[in-house]
Amino acid sequence: MEHQEYKELLEFHALDALEASEARGLEEHLKTCAECRAELARLRDAAALLAHAAPPAEPRPEMRNQLLASVRAERTQARPAAVTSPQVVPLKPRAARNIWTIGLRLAAGVAVVALLVSLIVFWRRDVKMRQEIAQLSRQVNTQQHELVRDRDVLGRQREALALLNMPSAKKMELAGTQTAQSAHGTFVYDQKTGRALLMADGLPATPADKAYELWFIPKGHSPMAGRIFTVDASGHAMLPEQMPSEAMANSVIAITLEPKKGSAVPTGAIYLSSPSS
Amino acid sequence: MARVFSLVQAEPSQISDNDLLHAVAGGDEAALAACYDRYRLILFGLIIRILHDREEAEDVLQEVFLQVWRRAGDFDEARGRAFTWLVTIARSRALDRLRSAGSRARLGEEAAQMPREEVGDAELDAVKSEARTIVRSALAELPEEQRRTLFLAYFEGLTQTEIAARLGDPLGTVKTRMRSGMMKLRELLGQSRDSV
Repeated sequence: MEHQEYKELLEFHALDALEASEARGLEEHLKTCAECRAELARLRDAAALLAHAAPPAEPRPEMRNQLLASVRAERTQARPAAVTSPQVVPLKPRAARNIWTIGLRLAAGVAVVALLVSLIVFWRRDVKMRQEIAQLSRQVNTQQHELVRDRDVLGRQREALALLNMPSAKKMELAGTQTAQSAHGTFVYDQKTGRALLMADGLPATPADKAYELWFIPKGHSPMAGRIFTVDASGHAMLPEQMPSEAMANSVIAITLEPKKGSAVPTGAIYLSSPSS
Repeated sequence: MARVFSLVQAEPSQISDNDLLHAVAGGDEAALAACYDRYRLILFGLIIRILHDREEAEDVLQEVFLQVWRRAGDFDEARGRAFTWLVTIARSRALDRLRSAGSRARLGEEAAQMPREEVGDAELDAVKSEARTIVRSALAELPEEQRRTLFLAYFEGLTQTEIAARLGDPLGTVKTRMRSGMMKLRELLGQSRDSV
């Protein structure tokens, strides 16, 4: 319907004489039409004059006091600290009270349902969140492991760099033997402090019951045992070492495959070796 | 609960309807009492006219003033007169009661007649008495059918369709009468707003 058509309903609406469906349509229009709202207000003022057509009537005089007593009782109820006087009986807003009671019960019911629903929602969300937290925590653990490993690697690389940059550093190339032709390595050590680092690549992965062992073989002496280590499928090793002072002067560096706990003297095949001078 | 200061205790008759309702909204019991004193005759008369039952009407009158007490804060003078606000509450409450079970039996009384007087003008507030005289004489000038149509809608809460059925008239005729009657009331309000 158009504004004009609605406008023509206003006089009837002021008397509440429209059919329910018409009234609903008009109420919708009124929400958005200030002009019609103002017009309806004027028309309602006009319709209210009809109250004068009813002959005035005098209620029983005691009604005035009953009303004021009810108001006072309501006010007392509203105050938490006040004492309710027993003789103040609210007249009889029974219908009203029933509506209030029903309303309150309905509201309470709705509140309980809402609470239950939110409890369930929160509980389910909680379970889901716990699962997510557990998964995240596993991920963090893994990443922490990787981080630690990476940091180790980084630390050693930094150490290697530091070693290499020292003026007193000495670098020895290790070559693969017949047993491990693709293997090669570098051994760096500081001639002043004996701090050393072995870097090797291309070594066969260490068998479960074996380990590689580093040897320092000073010229004219028997081999001195260094550290033992294992290599995974990458064939890569980076191993900090402390060079024995006796080995500093003129030694051959060799790596053999030994039993898992290492040996006092070399027993296995040589894998890597520095050139014997 | 006695308030230290009540706007109303001073000069009740000097206070406008609007200020009276604002005072009620502020929790002023004396203002509610003044409001009761000022409107009880008109509102009680209106409620009796709708319900045709004194006892029930007293019940409803009580409800009406309790609602005024609780909801006076809703009154907005920009959206209509205080008189309209009060009368609308009384009419709605009475019509609700009429429609609820048990009250329907009393229906069927002649709605178009001007019922006989119960309270003399002397007992009415002078201003209200004047308003009443103006409105009643204006309504008396309306053709009988127009007045009857307005009364059936206003005092019995009938819709246009129901009125047409009740009177055995075409719906279009009912609409025309209603429109003419409302036009008259509106003119009245325009001419003598301060008196009615």
